Amino acid sequence: MLLEIKNLVKEFGGVVANADISLEIERGMIAGLIGPNGAGKTTLFNCIAGYHKPTGGKIYFEGKDVAGWPAHRVAKVGIARTFQGIKIMPNLTVEENVMVGAFCRTHDRHRARRDAQEVLVLLDLAQNAATYPTELPIAIQKRIELGRALATKPKLLMLDEIAAGLNPLETKEMTQILKRIKEERDLTLFLTEHVMEFVMTISEAVTVMAAGRKIAEGPPEEVVKEGKVIEAYLGERYAKG
Amino acid sequence: MNKVLQVLRDIFSFADRPRTEWIGFIIFVVMVLLFPWLVKSSYARSVMIKFLLFALFGLGWNLIGGYGGQVDLGQAKNVGFGAYATALMMVWWKIPFWLTVIPGMIFATAESFAVAYPMFRLRGHYFAIATLCVALVWKELFVFWDWTGGARGVEIPIRPTPDFAYMQFGSAIYYHYFIFFLFITQLLFMNWFRKSKLGYELQAVRDNEEAAASLGINVTNTKVTAYCTTAALGAIGGSFMAVYYLYIDPDFVMPLDLSILIAMTVMVGGAGSIWGPILGAAVLIPLDMYLGAWLGAQKRLGIDFMIYAMIMMIIAAREPKGIWGIFERIRRRGMR
Repeated sequence: MLLEIKNLVKEFGGVVANADISLEIERGMIAGLIGPNGAGKTTLFNCIAGYHKPTGGKIYFEGKDVAGWPAHRVAKVGIARTFQGIKIMPNLTVEENVMVGAFCRTHDRHRARRDAQEVLVLLDLAQNAATYPTELPIAIQKRIELGRALATKPKLLMLDEIAAGLNPLETKEMTQILKRIKEERDLTLFLTEHVMEFVMTISEAVTVMAAGRKIAEGPPEEVVKEGKVIEAYLGERYAKG
Repeated sequence: MNKVLQVLRDIFSFADRPRTEWIGFIIFVVMVLLFPWLVKSSYARSVMIKFLLFALFGLGWNLIGGYGGQVDLGQAKNVGFGAYATALMMVWWKIPFWLTVIPGMIFATAESFAVAYPMFRLRGHYFAIATLCVALVWKELFVFWDWTGGARGVEIPIRPTPDFAYMQFGSAIYYHYFIFFLFITQLLFMNWFRKSKLGYELQAVRDNEEAAASLGINVTNTKVTAYCTTAALGAIGGSFMAVYYLYIDPDFVMPLDLSILIAMTVMVGGAGSIWGPILGAAVLIPLDMYLGAWLGAQKRLGIDFMIYAMIMMIIAAREPKGIWGIFERIRRRGMR
């Protein structure tokens, strides 16, 4: 088991954002996390990645309890993440953005540059290496963020709404890229998503959250048939449609 | 051996448009080297030395202020530490100048380390105010203490004969070349630094702290390291001031004006670029000196500060990346 979350609780001054969440992610799988707005998906991500200190519970990564560790230590043990809103370094070029990620594993600037260039080729970004990220479209910026996370050589890559704001074609490209990097880099992926089509086609297992609780888990095609899930998530959408 | 060559190559590789920047760099070096032979006016020579001194200060401050994006308005305290370390050690124990530079740097670094962690709990304007306060407290302490000479300051006795060990020469030309040597060393250090691991980490922290942390960067430690390094670099210039002016007091080496002028040269020239501090000093220092000479006593009325403030406002409104930012924009437009 690569990641094992046990009874995780996160409260913000009385508001329970995550109540007693337990889940497991096996090495080499693509795990999805879905749920309506405000379900606590991003809070869970932030707890794992060290951006929030959990109120209670344990987060085991390769057997080590990383709950409450600061973000930079979590990154060092091999958990990388992307952000929901894009958080890119605007005054560094695309290549330099990815290099900063590569410096997580090396002190040598030339090695970091080589590592970054490898990642850029892998993500079809090599032609943008010398440009500044803010001059590029959102879909490319998302890929730069992905590349930056990838350059830290993670074991677990957590993607927070990587397909949000992408058009169907770009979403399809993203799916292919994710599958490709997972194979080439021997990764485990954990993604949250609003775009159901995206998460359902790519994930091998999904966890469903609603109002801070885990309400279902399993293979995507089975999860969507569960009454509770339809009620919590699909229900409101399908009711309107 | 290969490793040494590689580091040398890193030190001398000037970024993005290697050829243009190398040509500019060489023209600049030749001009400064020939300057004392072409210009005979001693006032112009002293302007040149002051320009190099402030370019040196700017290069150091650029580390925390430009690459780190932290507005530190207390660099004068580090200048003061360097100046006092040199002056006091030379006066008390007759230690040669060369052995006093490093103790000054060490003291500045240690002091910065001691105050850095509480200060970096603050951000933005609050951090700027904190740095300003710490520097003012130190200045007042140096005025108050007797052992530092108090408000009267410290005078380094003039030696009967020129003496290399104590940095006393018959002609200002020697100081010109010495400050130029310090300046070039610092320029090359900064050129190496900005492409180093810490350099990139610092820039990442400046641009986005949360993203930086997700890439394994300890945000606070990175800022603290940068803050301490900047302090050490500031102290070098301070040591030079002590032997060049031969007389220092707290109002001269650690005032608020000095902190602000250092920060301003960098911002006017272009914070976060290697050439920015040099351009800024090239504009502001001659302006300051000639304006002072021209206005004479009226200078005290603060006319020079009004002119600075106007330049600052124009820069802030029109081109936040300073003079170098204008060059960059023209260059990028040319590429399209």
